[in-house]
Amino acid sequence: MNRKISFLTIVTLFLSVQANAQDWPVPADQNNRVNPQEYNLANVNKGKDLYLKNCKSCHGDPGKNNALPLVPPPVDVTSDKMQKNTEGGLYYKITNGRGAMPQFKTTISDDDRWKIVNYISNFSPKKQPLLVDAPPVKAKLLASVNERERKVEVFAESENNGIFTKLPNTPITVSTKKAFGNIEMGKVLTDENGRAEFVIPETVIGDEQGNVNIVVSLDDNYIADIVTLDKAKVGQLKPTPKLIQKGILWSTNENIQIWLLFSYIAAAGGAWLTIGYIVFQIAKIKRLSKE
Amino acid sequence: MERNTRRNFMKKLGASMGVAGVLGSSGLFSSCAKVETNTSGKITLLTSDGELVEVEKALLKPADIPSLPENQKRGRLGLSGRSWVMVIDLSKCRNARECMKACQNHHQLRPEQHHINVLQMQDAEHTAPYYMPKPCQQCDNPPCTKVCPVNATFKRDDGIVLIDNERCIGCRFCIAACPYSARVFNWFEPRDAEKYEGVTYNIEANVPQKKGTISKCLFSADRLRDSKLPSCVSACPNGVYWFGDRNEDAVTNGTTKETVSFSELIEKNAAYTLMEELGTKPRVYYLPPKDRAFPFQGQNNTHHS
Repeated sequence: MNRKISFLTIVTLFLSVQANAQDWPVPADQNNRVNPQEYNLANVNKGKDLYLKNCKSCHGDPGKNNALPLVPPPVDVTSDKMQKNTEGGLYYKITNGRGAMPQFKTTISDDDRWKIVNYISNFSPKKQPLLVDAPPVKAKLLASVNERERKVEVFAESENNGIFTKLPNTPITVSTKKAFGNIEMGKVLTDENGRAEFVIPETVIGDEQGNVNIVVSLDDNYIADIVTLDKAKVGQLKPTPKLIQKGILWSTNENIQIWLLFSYIAAAGGAWLTIGYIVFQIAKIKRLSKE
Repeated sequence: MERNTRRNFMKKLGASMGVAGVLGSSGLFSSCAKVETNTSGKITLLTSDGELVEVEKALLKPADIPSLPENQKRGRLGLSGRSWVMVIDLSKCRNARECMKACQNHHQLRPEQHHINVLQMQDAEHTAPYYMPKPCQQCDNPPCTKVCPVNATFKRDDGIVLIDNERCIGCRFCIAACPYSARVFNWFEPRDAEKYEGVTYNIEANVPQKKGTISKCLFSADRLRDSKLPSCVSACPNGVYWFGDRNEDAVTNGTTKETVSFSELIEKNAAYTLMEELGTKPRVYYLPPKDRAFPFQGQNNTHHS
């Protein structure tokens, strides 16, 4: 038992020391590994997709310093601390993880992990950035629902030198509102006139009346108000199966079954009657004893 | 005198039993009608984050804090049209225990009391160990509600099993009936009991806790009423929990806030429920601990069931 406790103490101490250590040592042979994935736009883009899916929830958007407040804090991709790492070092850390950082060797393939390294290198001062995110452009979105044809019609405009002009070939995301967030129905590209039509799938579930709240938005490259189309009658009726059926469960007095109510009253009343009868008999004995 | 001893005893017994019965029943009625009142200028309120704040009475709208009977009534009805489900991704759990901390703060639980507990699991001798958070399974066929002799625990129409500790008599039949060991008993004064003095009982958070009554996970029903995710779900730093409405087939991750289709998520990942064979129909689904994001840190236990 004592040995167990001391072992646990050592393990905890070791872990806490490891978590508090400022530097994260990488074995020399790992540190000098060369990225087998070429540094090109396709690989960096793929790396970006993977980063957004797997890393962003903790590390935040590159350059925005909006990482999760964890201890130790996740490092921003553009920071010196991140960029100080060699490509091999980054690959090693993504692969094995440490403390709160997951190991990605179980969930992301070797090639894809190198592509994430490529994406991080995009922000390196030593490399020519391949992905240059233009500063976000002001845009306007107009959208309406055609309930009969089950379509969302969108018109997008963006600002050019103070004038709003049509926005062609831009992805528009169409989502529906759910209890705690929006679920994406699909994406649609605008045509050369800045217009797009999105066909609403048959399977969309609305509320009890089949009303769907549709959210239309542009991606991060644009600053635009999100358009919310409330109560479009295009969804299936939301199924609301009754959980509390008579005969199985009841949670309120209104749901109680009559036979149960009567048998309860009969049993409880019977018990009180019996007690009353006994008391009456005792009183009778007392009266008889006095006579 | 000697002769009458037994008779006298019976006489006294009958009289005292009658008195006790009358007193008991009147006590029962008075306890049902009792509502906490606070005459001072300030009132202590429990925020949804589990913190107590003192607020001037004049600043409060009466609709925001329902009276105890009203709270008990709406607590029994639930949120109409909803059917809450939780999906726990075992491959993401790191034993960070943030869910447990948030839960204990929210529901005024002592350190040894758990509405949700992260267990170290090993299914067989040669299989890999993993961490498993285990809240109440909110069964659709709950064994616990059926054994309650005073209708203190019940199933709502939105799927949550709750407790009314104003009714609970502390018999602990429900603890014996629950196959998941999801229920805890307040053997001692609850944590921070003095801080919660005079706070109106909220059936949907089971706060303030009361010594001698049962408590259990209730999917933070008070937070769901405010369209917020349960405490444990929002507190998780590793994206373990998905929570949502089965009727609208959508669950939202508490960490990444991503919303996906519930049926697709459980189908693609071969989700399972605990002790399915008992026919309890749990509402908590588990995604298998395949491709775990974190290595197991604990000690491997060679004893397993």
